[in-house]
Amino acid sequence: MILAMFRVMALALWRDRGALVMTFLLPPLVFLIFSAVFAGATGEDVKLKLAIADDARTPASQRLAAALLSDPDVRAERTTPDTGEEVRRLVKAGKADAGVIIAGDPGAPGAPILVVSDPSRAVAAPLTMARVQQTMARTMPDILLARTLVETAPAVGGYSQEQIAVATAARAVLAKGDAKPAGPSLFAREDIAGAKKGGGTIAYYAGAVSILFALFSAMTGALSLIDERRSGVADRILAGTRGMGPVVTGKFLFLVAQGMVQALAIFATAQLIYGVPVLQHAGPWLVTVVAASTCAAGLALAIVSFCKTRDQGQMLSTFIILILAAIGGSMVPRFLMPPWLQMAGWATPHAWTIEAYQSILWRDAGVSAVYPAWAVLTVTGLLGLLVAQAATRLVR
Amino acid sequence: MTDRPILNVWGAEHQYGSRKVLRGVDLAVRPGEIYALLGPNGAGKSTLVGAICGRFRLTTGEVALDGHDPFKSPVARARLGLVPQEIALYGHMTVRENLQVFGRLSGVPRRELAGMVTRALQLTRTADREHVPVKHLSGGYRRRVNIAAAILHRPQLLILDEPTVGVDIDAREALDTVIRNLRDTGVAVLIVTHDLEQAGALADRVGFLKEGRKVLEGSPRGLIEQAFGQEMEILVQMDLEPDMDGESILAAEGLERRKGNLWARLDAGGYNAAAQLDRRLRSLGMIPREIRVRPPSLQNLFSLVADWRRAA
Repeated sequence: MILAMFRVMALALWRDRGALVMTFLLPPLVFLIFSAVFAGATGEDVKLKLAIADDARTPASQRLAAALLSDPDVRAERTTPDTGEEVRRLVKAGKADAGVIIAGDPGAPGAPILVVSDPSRAVAAPLTMARVQQTMARTMPDILLARTLVETAPAVGGYSQEQIAVATAARAVLAKGDAKPAGPSLFAREDIAGAKKGGGTIAYYAGAVSILFALFSAMTGALSLIDERRSGVADRILAGTRGMGPVVTGKFLFLVAQGMVQALAIFATAQLIYGVPVLQHAGPWLVTVVAASTCAAGLALAIVSFCKTRDQGQMLSTFIILILAAIGGSMVPRFLMPPWLQMAGWATPHAWTIEAYQSILWRDAGVSAVYPAWAVLTVTGLLGLLVAQAATRLVR
Repeated sequence: MTDRPILNVWGAEHQYGSRKVLRGVDLAVRPGEIYALLGPNGAGKSTLVGAICGRFRLTTGEVALDGHDPFKSPVARARLGLVPQEIALYGHMTVRENLQVFGRLSGVPRRELAGMVTRALQLTRTADREHVPVKHLSGGYRRRVNIAAAILHRPQLLILDEPTVGVDIDAREALDTVIRNLRDTGVAVLIVTHDLEQAGALADRVGFLKEGRKVLEGSPRGLIEQAFGQEMEILVQMDLEPDMDGESILAAEGLERRKGNLWARLDAGGYNAAAQLDRRLRSLGMIPREIRVRPPSLQNLFSLVADWRRAA
């Protein structure tokens, strides 16, 4: 009986070729688009567009402006006219992500560099400051040394003539580019083991898009419960011996299988195009796929079983899918969200699914790290199935 | 037909909130009998069918399907096949695929399924369309497949809810033949319908339900004879729409408007009365296009019952 309903669902999809193509080709396509869009947003490929004006017009300020203009890590452009007002205008107009006004000599004490930013692009300001500091450290170590001497002189009670002479000689050597900056940099950087540029984001969005589409497709499939009520099929079945139980279970199994095939399409794309190591983690990956698909199928059936009309079902499911996707991190990475939203995200299947996939495919985590996610997803899905079974029994 | 009813309803009362829908209905349907349950919208027909299908428990009263309560007992519901008013089939699947699915969902064992599907196709005369998707069938075929999907588990009671909605005359005759064939196999058939013509032609017994009460029950012919005796129905089709004076003349002759420009009355005088009526109308300048005389139908009985209730 359960298989009979599975067959009804499978044939409905198979014989609607448009729906079939959309069900299994759209998810990989959306995954590719999301990956391309958000790979940049997480900082891996960010190239800020900077508007630069040199108001100081000293040799050091001109060196800094030239260094920024030739820096491959930013897209810097000198404003015309070369004024602070023009920088502010370009930033306000959204034509630059941030602006850099060199208001004083970079070697002089104080804050000679003014970063202009738009609060709606808040992350641009600290990124710009970091880029300017990196550029100065790389191309103007002599100026940095001069600033250090000026700023530290009051603390050490001034420097002797001899010390000043040594520092001046060092500045000259650094200015010629013959030596590395004195003293170690504060930061060293180490990418996590096995890290491949862009891989973390790819694994993130493969998981994010797979749970998003699993829920979308499950909701659409679950709406057939309402169609069956409207068409009299439910009346026919409810007059029989077994009621709607096998029907709901058959639909559930089909939706789980559908979610699994969708996940397969997405992760096959991820492996083939981005080299995400899915096959290398096939076991835990498959368990995650089953858990996430179970969760999506159960939730969809539970939600739809409480709707009386198809319109209600469509509106409610769209609303829930969008909210869960937004909070759960299927649209914007969760680490960019405020802490309370990150916490709220754990109430969504998306966060658990994304976490599980990232743990397995990116962090090489073992079962001990992902079994809570598997448990949460599976139990949620099975609870959803029970709720749907109970709700359809209520309308007997 | 055997004497022992397969379906018994005793003193069925049901209410939704404070609204009483059924007010003490008794009903018995026997194997090999076609029983038509008639009544206007809101009479309580659907509620009675819901109770018979075990969808809810009656406020008061009892239902027994082959001696078992269908609300409590799946065994009782296994005796029942429901043909919903809607085409309760999957349009994307062929006739045979639909029957296979509904066979399984109604508990037919896998090894018996093929035989039961073939039997249902033959009984409903749909075998020639078994590989056609339901969405490509004509209205009449869909109605018959709708019945086929309800008889796969060999029910002893078949309930048909408005089986002729949206069906043309030819398809209706084919449908009536299918229902008679099923009756002849010993199945008890309960038809819920507004279609008094079909009920009159098909049913062995009819029951009129009105405002939750069964107000009349018996064989169509017996009920009509009892109510109208020797009276015949005279139908007058007028050519032109009568003006106010014309309407007064027709009303004075005891004629009531049926539909369009068709007027009717019951008259024990039969054909002689019709001839006299024709002469009188012509003498008054009212020229009928056609006058017909026929025995009264369930429609007349139904109007009469409605008038009784109004008078009461």
